[in-house]
Amino acid sequence: MNKLKNIFKKDLEDTSTNEIQEVSRRDFFKKTAAVSTVAAASILSPIKVLASEDDHAIMHHPKWGQSWGDPATKNLYGIPSAYEHNNTRRYTELLASGNARASIAVTPIHESEGIITPNGLFFSRSHGGTAHVDPNEFRLMITGLVEKPIVLTLAQVKKYPKVTRTHFIECPANGGQEWRRPQYNSLQFAKGFMACAQWTGVYIKTILEDLGLKANAQWMLAEGSDNSEMGRSLPIDKVLDDAMLVWGQNGEALRPEQGYPLRLLVPGWEGNLCVKWLKRLDFASEPWYAKEETSKYTALKPTGKALQHFYANEVNSTVVSPSCEKDWTHLDDGDIIEIEGLAWSGMGTITRVDLSFDGGNNYQTANIKGLVLPKCWTRWSYMHTYKKGERLLLTSRAMDDAGFIQPTVDQEVFGNNVKKENYGKDKNKGMGVESVYHRNAVETWEVTPKGEVKHVQIRTV
Amino acid sequence: MFKLEQYKILAVSVIATTALLTTSQAKDVESSAYNGLWNAKKDISGGVYYPIMNGQTGPYKVNTQVYKNSDISKNEEGLKVSYNHGRVPTANEYNAWNKDINGKNEGLPEGSGYVDEGEALYEAQCIMCHGDFGSGGGGYPALSLGKAKELKRTLTNNRWLNPTAEGPSRVFGSYWPVASTMFWYIKDAMPHTKSKTLTNDEVYSLTAYMLYINSMKVNGEIVNETFKLDKEKFLKIEMPNRNGFIPDIDGANGVENVRSFYTNPDNFGAIRLKKGEEPCMSNCQNTDNISRVDGGITDFNPPISVVRDLPAKKDDAAHTVSFDAKEAYKETCTMCHGSFAPAAGDKAAWKPFLDKGLAAVYKNGLEGTNMGMPAKGGSGLSDEEFKKVVDYILKF
Repeated sequence: MNKLKNIFKKDLEDTSTNEIQEVSRRDFFKKTAAVSTVAAASILSPIKVLASEDDHAIMHHPKWGQSWGDPATKNLYGIPSAYEHNNTRRYTELLASGNARASIAVTPIHESEGIITPNGLFFSRSHGGTAHVDPNEFRLMITGLVEKPIVLTLAQVKKYPKVTRTHFIECPANGGQEWRRPQYNSLQFAKGFMACAQWTGVYIKTILEDLGLKANAQWMLAEGSDNSEMGRSLPIDKVLDDAMLVWGQNGEALRPEQGYPLRLLVPGWEGNLCVKWLKRLDFASEPWYAKEETSKYTALKPTGKALQHFYANEVNSTVVSPSCEKDWTHLDDGDIIEIEGLAWSGMGTITRVDLSFDGGNNYQTANIKGLVLPKCWTRWSYMHTYKKGERLLLTSRAMDDAGFIQPTVDQEVFGNNVKKENYGKDKNKGMGVESVYHRNAVETWEVTPKGEVKHVQIRTV
Repeated sequence: MFKLEQYKILAVSVIATTALLTTSQAKDVESSAYNGLWNAKKDISGGVYYPIMNGQTGPYKVNTQVYKNSDISKNEEGLKVSYNHGRVPTANEYNAWNKDINGKNEGLPEGSGYVDEGEALYEAQCIMCHGDFGSGGGGYPALSLGKAKELKRTLTNNRWLNPTAEGPSRVFGSYWPVASTMFWYIKDAMPHTKSKTLTNDEVYSLTAYMLYINSMKVNGEIVNETFKLDKEKFLKIEMPNRNGFIPDIDGANGVENVRSFYTNPDNFGAIRLKKGEEPCMSNCQNTDNISRVDGGITDFNPPISVVRDLPAKKDDAAHTVSFDAKEAYKETCTMCHGSFAPAAGDKAAWKPFLDKGLAAVYKNGLEGTNMGMPAKGGSGLSDEEFKKVVDYILKF
């Protein structure tokens, strides 16, 4: 706005009141239009327009302003503007099995706004393809160590008292291709195995109050009705804490890709636990060893032992703006620009985010913005005055209210408080580089002198 | 119905119901709910536990008419909710869906099968995805990469310290902790294009074949090609990596072991600050060594673009009304056709099939064959659509 004021001020200084009255009507409009063009261009768009040129976008009536728009009867279920077609989930063959029926399509977080992901952009992962469940044939059976086993229709599930919660769901393999080196010059692929939504459903504990859980119940199996009959088991603690059965996502029914009509939501924990197209909950005293909690979703450590039942997505963060996709090549020297990012923790609430401009050697504390909710995306921000030609290493580091802080790449791989000369010597220290899952070391984005953004990692070895 | 006594036992295992907190602890939780909970009770994963208390959980208000009973310190009567939604399943319904098998093999059905039967089934229904002798391919998982016991040694390979090392082999024989997982998953989810179609005997024979190609032992004996697996022998399968997983989740202390494991951040590569400890803010680390994307992964689909323009012109009518046989072929059939099955347009390869007449080709495609062709290729296409795909394939 300052630029706009200055331009008008200068314009008025150049022209006495009398002179304004004397200029022809035609000249007056010409002059005003030129001023507006400069102002609009400076503020809204990276496109530079010289003061002497009139912006065509302003100087002509656009087509949509001179003819009927669509009738209100069109697109009764709304769709995004056709111009937004590039804001879409994406996939890569590397993460696709065969014909993409046991694959993932990831969220364009470089385009994300706020802390809610639109349903059509929510990342999608399945082990036997996206099932299309007929809600009329949907049944949920709850069996095992309960006093009263039951079978429920969808309408009956929805009769329980509802809760609405905002939580992210993150695939524990988010960033899992980058244990040994960065692989993606893309924020969407480096961090987009996650999304965040407002979920509506019922706490499982509410149903269990009705059914009565037997004292020796330690584990709950959740099974999907899809082609892979995706199953995972949960300790009873989480079931009686905040685990939910959800049918609502951002104010409407779940999308098929998200498990329509009912999925398990396990706030903050591995996305894989949030079993979609749910059909059965079974309670038992002994654990199950389902395929996706043994062959996969187990984290191999340097000792050769693997972590099983590795639940929470630990505290994490990333810079979102700038990104590889939306870089700073259009910035001018001296531009004041917002560095924005996301932080999240499956173990609690984000309490603080620090931002480094030198790859994690020195940090400043960033500003947390907007709603700050447990196990939920949290926005943070830092204002920066851009120097043309500067080279930056932007590293963000989040903390949560459970006391956890993101490790450096070295710390996660080789262990905390391990001297460089001892890296890898004690196999009990650190996660090594073969664990695939739960990588939450700090991420670094290099801003090159041209303003391009590259994904890098700061490692000392 | 629910008994208070049982609930109390349960409450002990529920990390931090308010009943377990002293008044001062409870106050601490309440007053510092958004501002660091270093002293608060943790959940089983080591995270913060937000109890429902005083009409709230974390920042969320709750309807106290529903959750008054969740705070059992205030309700000596325990839980007395009776929604009476739904109904008790019949025995047949229960049995129809109760197919799980746990780590102690509870739930394993009766049956038996030979290695060679499993091999024949494998070659007819599995090989197209899992490769020769379970070697994997096409993005589908390998099932065997050699002798299980030898492969198990690769689990300590670390490609950071030794970049030329072979990656860890995480297949059935070398990695999986129990055999029940294999039986259960084949029964529920395989073959991928027509799951839940195998009999128990067939699953036994396939499991026997898995043991054979992994050179695994049953009751001390290496499985050979004449081996017959049944329920009794299943219980004696030796899993080389049975003790390769932490924490121990079995038995009555399973859940407690998990809780205890996650109280130590070193166990899972995490860092927890002490109360009041400031993180490093200056001169934290040397940042000279920058690892960059070297080649990396770039086959992003669709290609990355942030341009706001109109999508490339498509004939809308063609895309929404008419059926694109070529696209369907690409999406459904190319997994097999084009590798070991005849590709579209390969006149010579299709000749022996066409010699039996077009009707036979349609029929085999629609109904599937025992040579590995799933009905309609496992697709959800209508008969008419599927025939159009066949026509496309046979366009020479």
